[in-house]
Order: sequence, then structure tokens, then C-alpha cells
Amino acid sequence: MIIDPIIRDAVIFASMLSLLTLGLTLTYLTTKVPNFAHGSFASIGMMSMLTFTQLFGLNPYLSVIPIFFIGGGVALMLYLFVLRPLISREASFVSQMVATIAFELILVAVLNIYADYFTQTFKIQSRGFLIRRADVRIFDQPGVFIAAPTLAIAGVLILFMVLNKTRFGVGLRAAIENPPLAGSLGINVKRMYTYSWFIAGGLGSVAGSLLALWFQGSPVYGSTILISIFAAAIVGGLQNIYGAVLGGYLLGFVEILGTRQLGLWIGPWMTVYRPLIPILAMAITLLFAPRGLAAVKWRGLFRSFGKGVGA
Amino acid sequence: MITEQQLFTFLLDILAYFAIYLIVNTSLNLEYGLTGIPNFGKVLAVAGGAFVVGAVPGRVMANQLGILMGYRAVENDPILSECLKTLAQIKPKILEGMDYIEDNAVVGDCIRRVMVNDPLLSISLLAATVGLAAAVGAALGFVASYPAIRLKEDYLAMTLLAMGEFLAQVGYLDRTLVGGTLGVFAPDPYGWLGEYRFMASALVILFVALLFFYYMRQVSLSPAGRVLKSIRDQEVAAEVLGKDVVRVKQKVLIVSSLMASVAGALWAFNSQSVIASNYDRFTWTFWPWVMVIIGGAGNYKGILLGTAVFVILRRTIDTYRYVLEPLIPFSLVWLDRLLFGIALIIVLIVRPQGILPDRPTPAIQKPYLRKIIETIRQQK
Repeated sequence: MIIDPIIRDAVIFASMLSLLTLGLTLTYLTTKVPNFAHGSFASIGMMSMLTFTQLFGLNPYLSVIPIFFIGGGVALMLYLFVLRPLISREASFVSQMVATIAFELILVAVLNIYADYFTQTFKIQSRGFLIRRADVRIFDQPGVFIAAPTLAIAGVLILFMVLNKTRFGVGLRAAIENPPLAGSLGINVKRMYTYSWFIAGGLGSVAGSLLALWFQGSPVYGSTILISIFAAAIVGGLQNIYGAVLGGYLLGFVEILGTRQLGLWIGPWMTVYRPLIPILAMAITLLFAPRGLAAVKWRGLFRSFGKGVGA
Repeated sequence: MITEQQLFTFLLDILAYFAIYLIVNTSLNLEYGLTGIPNFGKVLAVAGGAFVVGAVPGRVMANQLGILMGYRAVENDPILSECLKTLAQIKPKILEGMDYIEDNAVVGDCIRRVMVNDPLLSISLLAATVGLAAAVGAALGFVASYPAIRLKEDYLAMTLLAMGEFLAQVGYLDRTLVGGTLGVFAPDPYGWLGEYRFMASALVILFVALLFFYYMRQVSLSPAGRVLKSIRDQEVAAEVLGKDVVRVKQKVLIVSSLMASVAGALWAFNSQSVIASNYDRFTWTFWPWVMVIIGGAGNYKGILLGTAVFVILRRTIDTYRYVLEPLIPFSLVWLDRLLFGIALIIVLIVRPQGILPDRPTPAIQKPYLRKIIETIRQQK
């Protein structure tokens, strides 16, 4: 089966963007602070995937498991050692945002130092690397083309099941929706927040690691797609995780397929303006549906359209 | 051992960096320290100013001199024909015409030769371009104020970050604006000073920086400054007391973006070229935030201190990295991010108001107040 390569790009990018957006929204729901270091969790995943597949010769899909724990661990560090002391000192939102920026500076520095060290010691390229060859082939397709959407959908389904069917999930939702009430009912709110930061960091790193199997990886890849993650999260509304997944898929497809379509229609110079797409998406969302896609009352919208047509 | 010359260059380098960051930090302090607008898109205005320098004056000069018409058109001009003669033999295409971006190096060389002999032209070009950059900066500030007066802190931070990144990325990807990945030359308005050019440039930047800094200090001590601080501390209360919060925020963003844009323009002139990838969010958004937070947001002395400490440390690490680099297995470029990232987190946790915290400014200065009390006592 021949598939247009740009479709592959779009499917893989959009699936992983939705996982990253999911993580960002999950942490935003707990601490109400956008994590400016979230993009770098994808970079952590990329560098770990490079190490596991190229150095240890591990199967890429087995490596995903340790990568989840690495990313989760780093997210825990950010939450426990940086944000929680700040929250307990009642620091302002801006201070907390600046703290995540400081953590981003540290992550970028550590990742780049690691990349330098990696190249010098093992003589393997660590900037602009392509490790598509490490991937397996499923049904004569690159494995990641199947694995990325599967993982994204499975991730959402599992999270849905956990949040709705288990005691832990109900506790987590309660802790997010009304922390004092949940606390008074004996739910350890802080522990619940810790879990959500761990899950968010882990998912971010897994997303990055699968992106590394298809796109050119580098220790700053995550920082460059941070804007897309923010845009997708705003499109999704920052209020629930299903909106985040929706926003991630929508923006991922629009960014890759939309740019190409515009390039074909208007001219190749249009493709330069790809960074305009996340910003436009943010602007349109904030103007017309400030609470995001998930909060739009679609049924009411259609009804009012119907009325308009009828009249 | 370092020679006197090296030391001088090093100090000049520190001075230039100090001055340029003083402008950007002054403008950030006006926004965040005094008014409480978390502008994470500082790079937008800085890049705007720099891109003006990359895109406008060179094109205007080239048009005025007629270089773009090709060698034939400028054959009679002694300076230009000298500059193009040899190249015209190798590359006959330039006889008929040149493209500003494609033949940027040649065009730049010709303009440089003309400007070296013409101080008046150089100075007026500098003034005109900086003025244009200021206007562009004010316009960008107006654009940035659109979300700033409508959104909450977290949404605003994300939106401004995206806006800042957008301009830098378009500059990087679009070849026609400022040459994309390769960059373009910037006309050198200090070229006629010969070997004193870097000193002149640093002094010009320092002069502008002190001017803006003095303005910011006066504002922060004035009744207008108290209005800004009231908006920062309790927006609703300021509104209740009849302050037009929307207009004030808009004005602050316009003025501060103007400052940042002038900084970008002066920096582009100082480095004689504009490469879009140098205008990223780390250099022009995150570093100013680090300096302002560590120094003490809102306090003008804190801004001065934060900028000085940061620039001296960072330039020293950068300049003497050849001493340390053999000892460690990675490039020292990343060490400053690591160190300042950790320092910033420690400051935020231990002393969130910065080294020199902001204090309420009395409506009347203390000596003056004492004099009034004295007069009242005497009257009794």
C-alpha cells in the first residue's frame, strides 16, 4: 500500500502532539500553571530513544517503558523540588511560570551537555539525527506510523477508564475539581497531583521518543514545538483532557496538511508561514470559543444555525 | 597573560552587553515589575527592531546608490565601480542587475565603502533607522496589548510567547525579509570612526540605555508609577478608583516595546549583521526575565544590579571558556543556562522578591517631608 508521505508525517506528528497536549493539560489542571518546560520532556524522550536504540541496541518499543519512567521522574523533580516549595510559600502565578522557565533552561542545558558528551564519547551523531532504521516494520509500514496513533488512542482510553472506573481516578478528579473538599474527604490531594505530574512527564517523553523514530531528532526539538503544544492546549480549552487530545490532533493535522495545501494553492513561499498556524489557531479560539473546543455547545450551535437557515 | 588590548576589548564587550540588556530589562521592568504584565514575548519587539535594521536601511541605500541596477549603471561612480569592477569580470550577471538578498555580501561591501567616507550620512542613517525601529516597536506593542488587556496571566503568557516566537521564526524561514538562515549585513553607521567603532557603538547604546533607565526611574517614583503599581497589586481596586486599566496597560506596552525595539536596532548595528536565529526566546526573553527576577522586579536599583551581575558573570564565563573547556567534556555554551536556571529557582524559592526588593515609594520624598514637619512645628 502506498501512502502519501505527508500523511504519515501528519498522523505521527498529530498523535504525538495530542499526547504532549494531554500531559500539559493534566498538569495545568492540577497546579493551574502552564508548564513552559513541557516541550523539553519530548526532547528527553528523543535523547533516551537515541541512547537505547543506538547504544544498547534495544527494541524501540521496549525502550518506551523505561523512557516513560525517566520522563515521569524528571516531571516529579520539577513538581516536588521546584513548584511545591513555591506553592507552599504562596508564590504568585507568574513566579511559578518563571520557575518552569528556569527548569526549561536547566533541561535544555543538561540535554545539550548530554548530546555533546554522547557524540564525543560514542561518536554517534546526536543533533539532527535520524533513527528511522531502528524502527520495525508492521504490515509493510513503518512501525511508528501504526504505533503512534494506537498509543495515543490507547493512552486516552486507559486514562478514561482509570479516571471513571477506578477509586484512584475518581479521587484524582475530585482532587482537581475541588481540592479542599476532596481533602476533607480523606483524599491525599498532594499525592494525587504528584501522580498526575508523573503521568504527564512520562507521556511527554514517550511522545518525544516516538517522534524521534520518524522526524529529525535534536536536544532542542521539544522547545521548538512548545508553541504548537500551547496552541493545541488552548484550542482544547485547558479544562479537560479529551479536549486536549482533540486539540492536539486538530492542530497537528492542520499544521502539516494545512501548510502544504496553502503552499499548493497560493505558492511555495506560503510554507514559510507555518509558525503562523498555531498562533492563528490560538487567536481564533480565544476570540470565538475562549473556553476551547470541548466547551462549545455543538448541539446548540447547530440548532441556532438551523434557525438562521429556516428564517 | 592577557594584554592591555585584550582587557580593553573584554571590558568594552561587557559594557555593550550591559547597556543592551539594561534597555531590555528596563522595558521588562516597566511591564512586569511596575505594571504586572507577564510579557514572555519580549523577543517580539527586539526582533522587530533588529529586522528593521536588516531589511530597510540597506535596501534604501542600495536603491539610492543605484547598485541594484547593476554595474553598468554605477560605472561612473569612482567608489562603486572600484568595489564592483573585479567581481563584474568573474560574474557577468551583475553587469545588468543585482538582488539585495542574493548578492548581499557585495551590496553590503559597496554600501560600507560609501559610508566610511560620509559621517553625516552615517549619523542620519543611524538616527532615521532607530526612529523607524521605535515606530515599528510601538506598533508591535500595540499588537501585543490586544491580548494583554483581555487575558488572564497564564493565557497571556502563552499567547505572548507564541507571538514573540512567530516573528523570529518567520525571519528565520523567509529569505526575503532578513536573509533567512544566512542573515543579511547591516549598514555600519560607525564605520567612519575606524578602530573606535566598537567603542562608539557601546557608548551610543549606553547613552540610550541610561536615558531609558532614567525615564523608568522617574516614572516609578512619580504618581504615574504609583498608578502602575496599584494596577499590579490590585487591578480591581485601581479600576474602582477611576483608573482606566486598559488604557494604562496599552500605553505601558507601547512604550516598553518601543524601548525593546530600539535595543534590537542598536544591537543589529553593533554586530553589523542581522541573523534571525540570534533573536530567539532564550536570549531576548528568558535572560531578561532571569536578570529582572534575580535583581528585584519593580525596584530600579535591582534592575541595575541584576543586569550587572548577570552580564559580568556570563561574559566572563564566555570569554574565558578556553581555560575551562579542556577540563570538561562538553561545550561551555550550556553551562550558563544550567547555572542561571538553578540560581533563578533558588532565588524564587528563598527570596522571591529579588536581591533588592521593591519598596513602596512615598508620595513625598523623605527630606522634603522632614522639612514640612519642621515648618509645622515652628508655626506652633
